[in-house]
Amino acid sequence: MATTPARTEGHDDFKWKADLEGIGFVRRLLMARRWYRADWWFVAISTVMVVGFIVLALIPQVFAPFDPREQVGPRFLAPGERPDVEVLIASAASDITGVADLASEGRVSVAVVAGEPSSEAVRNEAERLTAEYRAQGLDVEIRLRIERYETLEEALAGVIAGDAVVAVGSFLAFADLADAFPELDQMGSVAPGTAAQSFTLGTNQIGQDVLSRLIWGTRVALIIGFTSSLFSLFIGVPLGLFAGFTGGKVDRVLSVLMDSLYAFPGLILAIAITAVLGPSIINVIVAIAVLYIPTYFRIVRGQTLSVKESLYVEAARSIGAKSRVILTRYIYPNVIPSVAIIFSVNVADAILTGAGLSFLGLGLDPSTPDWGIDLARGQETIQTAWWMITFPGTAVMLVVLAFTMMGEGLMEIFNPKLRER
Amino acid sequence: MTDPVYSIRNLSVEYGTRDGRVVAVDDVSLDIRKREILGLVGESGCGKTTLGKAMLRMIQTPGRITGGELWFGGRDLMTLPAKEMQRLRGRHLSMVFQDPMTSLNPLEKIIDHIVETVRTHDPGASEAAARARARELATRLGILETRIEDYPHQFSGGMRQRIMIALALALNADVVVADEPTTALDVIVEAQFLDLLRELRDEFDLTIVIITHNIGVIAEVADRVAVMYAGRMTEVGAVNEFFGDTRHPYSQGLLQSVPNIDMKEPTLHTMQGSPPSLLYPPPGCRFHPRCPHAMEVCSVTNPTFAEVGSDHTAACWLYQDHADKQPLVRIRG
Repeated sequence: MATTPARTEGHDDFKWKADLEGIGFVRRLLMARRWYRADWWFVAISTVMVVGFIVLALIPQVFAPFDPREQVGPRFLAPGERPDVEVLIASAASDITGVADLASEGRVSVAVVAGEPSSEAVRNEAERLTAEYRAQGLDVEIRLRIERYETLEEALAGVIAGDAVVAVGSFLAFADLADAFPELDQMGSVAPGTAAQSFTLGTNQIGQDVLSRLIWGTRVALIIGFTSSLFSLFIGVPLGLFAGFTGGKVDRVLSVLMDSLYAFPGLILAIAITAVLGPSIINVIVAIAVLYIPTYFRIVRGQTLSVKESLYVEAARSIGAKSRVILTRYIYPNVIPSVAIIFSVNVADAILTGAGLSFLGLGLDPSTPDWGIDLARGQETIQTAWWMITFPGTAVMLVVLAFTMMGEGLMEIFNPKLRER
Repeated sequence: MTDPVYSIRNLSVEYGTRDGRVVAVDDVSLDIRKREILGLVGESGCGKTTLGKAMLRMIQTPGRITGGELWFGGRDLMTLPAKEMQRLRGRHLSMVFQDPMTSLNPLEKIIDHIVETVRTHDPGASEAAARARARELATRLGILETRIEDYPHQFSGGMRQRIMIALALALNADVVVADEPTTALDVIVEAQFLDLLRELRDEFDLTIVIITHNIGVIAEVADRVAVMYAGRMTEVGAVNEFFGDTRHPYSQGLLQSVPNIDMKEPTLHTMQGSPPSLLYPPPGCRFHPRCPHAMEVCSVTNPTFAEVGSDHTAACWLYQDHADKQPLVRIRG
């Protein structure tokens, strides 16, 4: 690799300016590191993250293994931990897959281990099924004869000996014994809906899958982030343009209004608004939108004031341009780039505030798969179930980081002068 | 002598500042004749630009036109509603600004500037017609047709100034006020630009008011000269008359301060003192504290304009009768 020539400041500066003019967006991104000493990978990584989060939010059902609102497993299951459920164990050759298959055979003998919850579980399930059949008008009854053994090993031996058709026992205990009884096999769980599978990120205290809730939570977070930021953008930008362009009393009144809104502590204001409006996602969005209107207003007003005074606006006026034309063709296009950049940072901020609100139990229905709600739930059991609070917390951090990094990176590339300060 | 196309009558413009009112243009009257190039000259802060802007009624707060009449096209512009005034700008009256680097919207292509100007004033004009007009103007002003799709930052200062002229001419304005159009240009480009102005005047029947502090530009291009000092008009005359027989002591001072190749003295002539603050202007003639010929009357009463030659007037007591013409006794602190 050739050695880089010594840098001469004046020449470099000129080259930089010449390069800046007449090049497109893609080249700027690619050359960002060399030209602006801004790190393109900064933008690249954050853009990939942002796109990833957006994809997750658009089609969570593709990625989420379970329904985020349903109980899908035992409670408090650690990530990757296999749950201990009661399973039916029978000869590998039999076609029994559940308690329902034990019907119509008269009294079926079932081997259980004394003192374990197995006998209770299988009896309850049989009664439940019988009641269900009755309700449907069928004359089917599941009658069980419970044979008690001291250990699971003895119970299994009983099944092999033909003393019982099936054995009921703990999944984990059978897993240890499976090699000793090659002719026996696990046939399915006793209670329907519970499976002996593990969950990648564990389950929470109501048996919901943490991963599925995390994935669906992306949707809620991005909906709140984007819509509330768009909301405040659509109100803040026109107000800022109007105030800056009109000036005078209108400007003063609007500025005082916005400044007082800005001076008020953000989260407290949002809490107050959601408390007044009541819980719903729309109200959360409105509350956060109100919070961020002054951000847009101030930036747009300031820029409008400076662009309004620029010579090319005066020149336009001297050739008879109307106020509307000056506003839409001269001021607005010169103001909008900075709005685009603060929008990205603002989305991150809004997501954080949204999570904060639902963490405090304000705004969203408790069944909503939302990171803030998950954090609040996880915080109650932080000492026993670390996974419940860690993963939603990481998710909030990552999404905020991605949006902020993207905004900052873009700002450096589009507005390299800001870096010099 | 032709009839004036634009008459300024007793115009006064004030700026409200924290320290008080500044009368930037004080009771100025001036006739601008058809097809002439009038040079408006004076030092920085004497009110030249304010006068130029006032001609288009483009004074913005904190400035205010406090009195006077602006006669153009048989009407007093001061009586027109803002809407009608705006329609007049660009179509009949136009302005070219000092700094061509910042006078164009950086986000719009050159052709869009011209098309927009044309269509603002003539909403009926088709896009194609406006574009054709833009091309025609660009070619006329020596801008390659292939370049009009470029953005302002891709042009040099001289070319941008030509584009500004193209904008001012896009609608065949009758009167163009050019505010220091050559200040940002180097001498070669300046000379080219002044030639261009003269050609355009002949071609489009323009009336041009050039505002400048560079008396060389005036000598080069103007037909008549108007000199301003501290918000007031001091001397107006045909360019030959003015340079051949300068009357007002201020104008004389100005001309003497211009370096000359035939100059014998080793040092450049400088005028005494500095321009007065417009917040507290001196009484009487505003030049009297610096005037080598000051008389008692000068410190009391403002002189009116008087004929001092053919097509040449000056506001100075030297050329007018008055009882109290003793030399002024100056009290120096």
